[in-house]
Amino acid sequence: MAGTELAPAEIQVLQDLTILVFAPFVSGAIAHLEARLQGRRGPRILQPYYDLAKLFRKETLVPEDASWVFLAGPVVAFACYLTVPLLIPVLTAYPLPLGYIGDILGGAFILALAGFAVALAAVETGGPYAQLGSSRAMTFAALVEPSILFITFTVALVTTTDLPYFEAAQVRSSFGQAIYPAHLLATVAFFLVVLSDTGRIPVETHASTLEFGMIDEARTLEHSGPPFALLKWGSAMKQLILYVILINVFAAPWGLAGSRQLGPVLLAIPIFIGKALCVGAIFAVIDNSFSKLRLFKITEFMAAAFLLAVLAVLVLYLGGR
Amino acid sequence: MGALLVAILVVPLATSLACLKASARLARALSLTSGAATFGLAVALIPSHQITTALGGWLRVDALSVVFLVAVTFLYATTTIFAIGYVRTGSGPVEARYSRRFFAGLNLFAWAMAMAPVVNGLALLWVAVEVTTVVSALLVAIDDTDGAAEAAWKYVLIASMGLGIALLATVVMYYAGSTVLGGSYELSYANLLGAATRFPPEIVRLSFGLAVLGFGSKMGLVPVHTWLPDAHSEAPTPISAMLSGSLLTVSFYAILRFYQVTVRAIGPDFPRAVLLVFGLASLVLAALYLARQHDLKRLLAYSSVEHMGILAVGMSFSAPIAIVGVLLHVLAHAAAKSTAFFGAGSVIRKFGTKEMSRIQGGIGALPWSGPMLVLAVLALSAMPPFGIFRSEFLIVEGGLAGSSTAVPAVLVVFVTLAFLGLSWFATQTMLTPTPDGVVRGEENAWMPVSMVMGLAVLVLLGVHPPPQLSSLLERAAAELGAHR
Amino acid sequence: MAAVGASPSTLTDAAEVVALLVLLSEFAMLRSSLSRSQVRLYAFQSLCVSVLAAFVAATRHIGALYVLMSLSFVLKVIVVPTIILRLVREVRVDVTASHRLGVASMVLLAIVLSVFGVFVFGRLPIHSRSLPILALALAAAVILVAFLLVIVRNDVVSQAVGFFSLENGVSLASLVLAAGLPLIVEVAFLFDLLVAVVVFGVLMRVHHGRARTLSTRALDRLQG
Repeated sequence: MAGTELAPAEIQVLQDLTILVFAPFVSGAIAHLEARLQGRRGPRILQPYYDLAKLFRKETLVPEDASWVFLAGPVVAFACYLTVPLLIPVLTAYPLPLGYIGDILGGAFILALAGFAVALAAVETGGPYAQLGSSRAMTFAALVEPSILFITFTVALVTTTDLPYFEAAQVRSSFGQAIYPAHLLATVAFFLVVLSDTGRIPVETHASTLEFGMIDEARTLEHSGPPFALLKWGSAMKQLILYVILINVFAAPWGLAGSRQLGPVLLAIPIFIGKALCVGAIFAVIDNSFSKLRLFKITEFMAAAFLLAVLAVLVLYLGGR
Repeated sequence: MGALLVAILVVPLATSLACLKASARLARALSLTSGAATFGLAVALIPSHQITTALGGWLRVDALSVVFLVAVTFLYATTTIFAIGYVRTGSGPVEARYSRRFFAGLNLFAWAMAMAPVVNGLALLWVAVEVTTVVSALLVAIDDTDGAAEAAWKYVLIASMGLGIALLATVVMYYAGSTVLGGSYELSYANLLGAATRFPPEIVRLSFGLAVLGFGSKMGLVPVHTWLPDAHSEAPTPISAMLSGSLLTVSFYAILRFYQVTVRAIGPDFPRAVLLVFGLASLVLAALYLARQHDLKRLLAYSSVEHMGILAVGMSFSAPIAIVGVLLHVLAHAAAKSTAFFGAGSVIRKFGTKEMSRIQGGIGALPWSGPMLVLAVLALSAMPPFGIFRSEFLIVEGGLAGSSTAVPAVLVVFVTLAFLGLSWFATQTMLTPTPDGVVRGEENAWMPVSMVMGLAVLVLLGVHPPPQLSSLLERAAAELGAHR
Repeated sequence: MAAVGASPSTLTDAAEVVALLVLLSEFAMLRSSLSRSQVRLYAFQSLCVSVLAAFVAATRHIGALYVLMSLSFVLKVIVVPTIILRLVREVRVDVTASHRLGVASMVLLAIVLSVFGVFVFGRLPIHSRSLPILALALAAAVILVAFLLVIVRNDVVSQAVGFFSLENGVSLASLVLAAGLPLIVEVAFLFDLLVAVVVFGVLMRVHHGRARTLSTRALDRLQG
């Protein structure tokens, strides 16, 4: 069994399936861990699956004035989240055939498209909180763009490409790589970006339903039924995708399959999920250690991420590593 | 000869320490003798044609150093005379403490400023200038007023940051030298000047730029001059005189040392351009600000900024005669500005205010200080037969001998503007009839005597500078690379 | 460059990271609003500079630098912060620093200044045997951000801390450029710093005594 080789197309499908299937699991695990850290029993780890199943059985309610965009938004977003795993190193260390259709910037564009579709659907509803959430989400996404750009520049300066696979190869190449200053700075900067994009403390809180502080959560307030299930699944997938980039490109790109053999590829799945759970644990600890920033202070947070990204580029410019 | 240097090192310092403990009268007597003695020692150094060293190379004096040393010590001598008359001799403990602190600080300040031209090397030079900053900051704050506290804080902050930049300049110059002289060497002038031609040019350029910016903040070059009007107007008058007359010149001396090394390393074009930019900015801005002053001492402070601008512009001219003019200007400005401040001090004491709108009829109220103040202000505006006329004439002549006439023309225009501002003051406050409520007569004899000395030196410099002094100035100009 | 244990390049990387921490602590000073935390950040920054001094002393085998390092450690990490913290504690009125621009704008402006400083110093033909050139560029950035700190801050403690951190930047630059400077000169520099601290302390007290506050917003009487 271990000797059989998978066709590249199969591995690509496997990457997509991994993200699709395990995204709710990772979400549930993080929520459970957070509750445990607070001394509560917490929800079941598999709770998100039950939630999704329940939602798929419910009926869809659409606001009177909304058009087809309202129902198309979640579907478009879900489709985008299914596309991005084709581009990034989820399971394999080598680029897969479809992996060349987009680089890091392309991946960022597709993720932004997903966010845009959801925001558009929210604006369609005419509900005040949904619109508030959309505008905030778009603003903060714009504020995070410069940091992402500079992180991409860092990758480009190091590997002379901006394909994520090559950065991962670079990091794997020697042990001392971990404390290369530019790499450290870019990793921390990207960590902050993931923090803000997945809507965790100190940018947004999952734990309460206080509308005045909501950004991402508010956009989905008006949806129900299967579209809502797609939205929740999609946001869990987005979280896992960002973890993929953080782990398998910057922080810890070990354990990826080096060949097309079935054994290593299948082994890569639990290794990756394990690493994702570790990162999730870090986020859970951060959730419990800090308080949410007031909205106008979030710009400071973005400025800090931008600072680190700029410094990473400067270090590389000066011939450092 | 070396003993002279050591004596200059020891005398003011010892006097300062003694003043901490001595009675008021003894402190005054000691300061007076110390000032006169130090000035005498400096004058004794004028004729010597070779470089004097002492203390195994820690102290080194060449013609350039002697010029500045003479300026600083002359000011020291006349200021002690003025201070004896100015600082109130009361019987209470508050006055006694003030007097002790004042004279100890005055002597220490003069010591630090005398040290700067005498120490050997850029590193020790920086240390000396830093000591002057520290001491003078405390002296600016010695008067217990809101304005003094504010001025002292601004001064110490801006000057210290400027000196931080100057330290960076020193380190960069050290690095430039280390590419030639190896990793560990003394930053003495001999070492630097000997190896300067092999220094990497980019590094030297950076060092010079940083030095002008850093030391320029203490010299009063625009745009880092903002502490100057406040500090000079809020400090007690003797201290203002020393700040304007010798502290600014000591900072200029530091820039000149960097200039000396830079010219030998990369030629004169870049340093001259830098000095021209800063000098013109200072000159123009000061002349414009002069017109709108209503505080007497601030007026004189802006005049100092203007003269520092003239010095920088003068250095940017290529003719050797301009550099001789610059050095003569250093001496003449020290004498003129101090005399002006002394007169201003008498006037302020008499009328009880610094606001020029409330001062009327100075000549009538102060039969000696009044006219002498008018003469000093005219001297500052380059009126013959005073020394500043001669020095500015030399500078403009040097400028016209160069390639462009635009800069000397601008110089003359703005000097004239400044003259207008100063003369407006002179007519409004001094040459009007005295109001009735003012008591006529000098407060004591010390204050006018100091002014007489200053004016005498100005006339001497303007009419017939002693040949030894002229030869000293020419030797100093040659050291600065004027023959190129 | 001989070093103990790990490869030299790893140590260089570690040194670069410490130099980065110096700049990052400068930025943190920019955004911190409590005077106490500013002073602590300054102590941390001085600690980083001392660590780099020890690194240079170890790799270049300059014994005198150890003396310098311990002196500057005692002075800048222990004595100066203690003096300032004592003053802040005595005042008991204002412990919050104030600034004229918003934090995000300040950080952006500081980023622009740092990039400028890095470009100016990075293009120089400097080859240092002590520390990587990155440290010099970062020192230049620290100096420029320290200027910004003094300009945008409205209170005496922040401005004083800004000045002291400027001195840290110059020390870092001198470690890169002039590690072999004779010891007596370095000691003289440190002595000057001590005296400057004393003077700053005196003037801060004077200011507080007169104005009953640590804010410099009222220091605009003398204008023109």
